[in-house]
Amino acid sequence: MSFRFALVGNPNSGKTSLFNEITGNTQYVGNWPGVTVEKKEGRAKKIKDDVKIIDLPGIYSLSPYTLEEIIARDYLVDEKPDVVINIIDATNIERNLYLTTQLVELGLPVVIALNMMDEVEAAEDKIDIDALAKSLGIPIIPTIATKGRGVNELMQKSLQIAQTAAVGSTTGKSLDIFNKGIGKYISETESALAAHLQDIPFNPRWVALKLLEGDLKIIDRLNLPGKLLQEIGQRRDMLEEEYGSDAETIIADTRYDFISGIVKKTIERKRSQGALSTSDKIDKVVTNRLLAIPLFLAVMFVVFKITFGALGSFTIDWVDVLINETIAGTISGWLEAAGATEWLYALIIDGILAGLSSILVFVPQIMILFLFLAFLEDSGYMARAAFIMDRLFKRLGLSGKSFIPMLMGFGCSVPAIMATRTLENEKDRRLTIILTPFMSCGAKLPIYALFAGAFFANNQSLVVFSVYLLGIVIAILSGIILRKTVLKGEPAPFLMELPPYRIPTGKGLLIHMWDRGKAFIKKAGTVIFAAAVFIWFFQTFDFSLKMVEDPANSILGVIGRGIAPIFSPLGFGDWKSAVAIFTGLLAKEAVVTTMGILHGLGEVTESSTSLIGAMQTYFTPLKAYAFMAFTLLYMPCIAAFGVIKREMNSWKWTWFAVGFQTAVAWLVAFVIYQVGSLLGF
Amino acid sequence: MTNTFDLSSALEDYLEVILELDEKKEEIRVTDIAKRLNIAKSTATITVNKLKKLGLVIQESYGPVELTRAGKEYAEEVRGRHLLLHKFLIELGVDYKTAEKDACLMEHILSPVTMKRIAEFVNQENGIEQEHTTKTHRYRDAGSGITIGTADDEMGLRSTGVKSLNELRVGEKGNIIRIAGKGAIHRRILDMGAATGSEVVVKGIAPLGDPIEVTLKGYNLSFRKEEAKQIFVEVCRK
Ligand SMILES: Nc1nc2c(ncn2[C@@H]2O[C@H](COP(=O)(O)OP(=O)(O)O)[C@@H](O)[C@H]2O)c(=O)[nH]1
Ligand SMILES: [Mg+2]
Repeated sequence: MSFRFALVGNPNSGKTSLFNEITGNTQYVGNWPGVTVEKKEGRAKKIKDDVKIIDLPGIYSLSPYTLEEIIARDYLVDEKPDVVINIIDATNIERNLYLTTQLVELGLPVVIALNMMDEVEAAEDKIDIDALAKSLGIPIIPTIATKGRGVNELMQKSLQIAQTAAVGSTTGKSLDIFNKGIGKYISETESALAAHLQDIPFNPRWVALKLLEGDLKIIDRLNLPGKLLQEIGQRRDMLEEEYGSDAETIIADTRYDFISGIVKKTIERKRSQGALSTSDKIDKVVTNRLLAIPLFLAVMFVVFKITFGALGSFTIDWVDVLINETIAGTISGWLEAAGATEWLYALIIDGILAGLSSILVFVPQIMILFLFLAFLEDSGYMARAAFIMDRLFKRLGLSGKSFIPMLMGFGCSVPAIMATRTLENEKDRRLTIILTPFMSCGAKLPIYALFAGAFFANNQSLVVFSVYLLGIVIAILSGIILRKTVLKGEPAPFLMELPPYRIPTGKGLLIHMWDRGKAFIKKAGTVIFAAAVFIWFFQTFDFSLKMVEDPANSILGVIGRGIAPIFSPLGFGDWKSAVAIFTGLLAKEAVVTTMGILHGLGEVTESSTSLIGAMQTYFTPLKAYAFMAFTLLYMPCIAAFGVIKREMNSWKWTWFAVGFQTAVAWLVAFVIYQVGSLLGF
Repeated sequence: MTNTFDLSSALEDYLEVILELDEKKEEIRVTDIAKRLNIAKSTATITVNKLKKLGLVIQESYGPVELTRAGKEYAEEVRGRHLLLHKFLIELGVDYKTAEKDACLMEHILSPVTMKRIAEFVNQENGIEQEHTTKTHRYRDAGSGITIGTADDEMGLRSTGVKSLNELRVGEKGNIIRIAGKGAIHRRILDMGAATGSEVVVKGIAPLGDPIEVTLKGYNLSFRKEEAKQIFVEVCRK
């Protein structure tokens, strides 16, 4: 038989960790709310039956607030999975059960995975699981998702429930949450609903509750007649009058009362409410009034110092030698032995190998950076960063939550732009999407590494750090300007959970790093490889397909010379830079690949690997900096462009975004070069 | 009435006076209130405007002042609830100060039913035919910046204070009474655990002064002071 099990729970309760354990997949987890922003499917292993597992974004209730939460709720109410596996963070049962009380109302079979039991044990709290299961009427399986503990039992139980449900015996009985008084209003609403609508696509009692609460999304979905709405509105008024508050509060409070009642009977906490946990103690330092911001900058600087310092250079040299001496030597040996023609030799050694090596040398460095980012995310520091930075973001009319997509932008714009789904409103999302590519992505790192290495050898990490900072500053300024012009609106609210600090697991970090890093290796093998061949070809031949002596006369040279004047005021009006900027649209690493191939071949003198020497004849440090600034800011690569289109869901906004970015890039590079020249750099 | 015109007790006095006048079925003018409190009319106007902003009274321009439903309940409760529990504890033989402190704690957690029984018990003991509001004990309207004490304030025993969450200092705690406003944010705060009666502790303030971090239902939540302003808590000072 085939079944679908959906993983549902609060953000950060361990859904993705559990998903990875069940399916053997490697989705990355993160210790901040909003890591999984779309649903992911996988197949359960170690089980005979065909079971599909769906990892949903975290939700706090069935009243969605953000786009990702809408995705989760819609999946539950529309697709009706066979079993809902409700993951509960055992260290925070009260809030987690709030969702459970609502899941039960949907009428779907529910199993609880009581996760993070290791933390409960460490805190020496006692949970009477049997009693808890009994009072909820839901089976509970204790788990430790990160260690895979309890996963088999959970799957067995879920299967058993799915099979029983398939046979037709009812499982979900509703909880006895509401007292007679409120219950009366709910049943009345339910009958009123039944009288007006023949078949409701969802559980009627749940719909009745939602209507009583005044859930606009449900009202829209059901397209209810005005008369019914009026009737329900009257009931709501009566309820509110009788209980002296608004319906949402009354219903929420009743749920919490029910939960408190159960929790009091089944859980014994050792630590008293007021006592400081380790996490609180760390927070005292990390979010300290005076220390927080210096600490944040210091953390970032250390990350850059290590990535671009001795360790980074070491890995670059190592890979460089590996490819350009060991591998290139071997291959050219083969080619000569096989009597390859001159052009084939040139294609493989000067085109493909030179192009690939210009990227591959940076892969270890990118991995190191990603490892650090993974650590910051998994430990829980990212959420604090959002908390610390919110005030600044408020100035931009954004919330600190926008900071998380932006920080992710340092990895890659594609997932970062998708992460904007955690934001509440459309304008904030648009603005964040436009600004996120200003955060320098990992693919741009080789560009800075190349230029900083060539022109600022003595203070490489400082210069690269400054480029990253420049991106942030420009994002802030752009945010202010856009908020005042095309994206006017109320400042976004900020409401975010700060998860406890956790020591990241080694496996988790590696998955996380690899998940992002592998994309670069894959790109090197596909897009960059193709680009290398393409560039080599077009700069070797002219329009009549004859091999040219001087690449400036090649097809690429001619095109490059055509667009180069646009960049003259910025200091790099040569055709090679123009071509590099153009190919950078395929993937930002291609800028370096292009430079590698074009400058490598341009110098007929000696070994083509001495890229740096070749570039020093074209650029001055000032021009190099202007070039870095331009590549930092201009239109993102084609993959990011696609995601922007998808998330903006509008061509107009998509073109506006990339147009704006490119215009800003030109302007900033212009100012840097012109002012720099005036100052005599 | 007292002459200690710190902002909070002034607001409280206003509410009580308006309630009193209201019960006499008079049309209440700002002048009446000013006269009753023996203060300047301009001062009274300012304070009434404050109450208006808090949604506790309504007044069309220069028209009569009326208590809103929330305002009335509030005023009644100020008068009744704490006093009742206090009386009850005294009757049990608890000393005055402890009774004051405990009444403050008890009023958050007792169910309406228990409150009602206590009311009946106290009234029976005293042979008083006095009615206390019992139905809406759980829900009260509260406004920003006001501290509502009890009738015992004259004795300098202010112990109960309604504050908005943004007024709490780091380390202070309170119990949620009401979340003002409507719409998505209101709903969200509820969904994230801010049930009526639950305890919140202010954990910290971000280095740039906003947002704040609170502990609620055993986890940490952060939001801005703007949102905190909408959350009213009752603080017990010991
Ligand atoms: N100690 C402990 N940590 C866990 C457990 N399950 C998940 N985590 C950690 O909790 C954080 C959130 O996990 P994740 O799977 O991303 O949660 P999701 O947001 O619900 O998908 C990560 O840092 C995990 O490593 C567990 O059973 N014990
Ligand atoms: Mg997840």
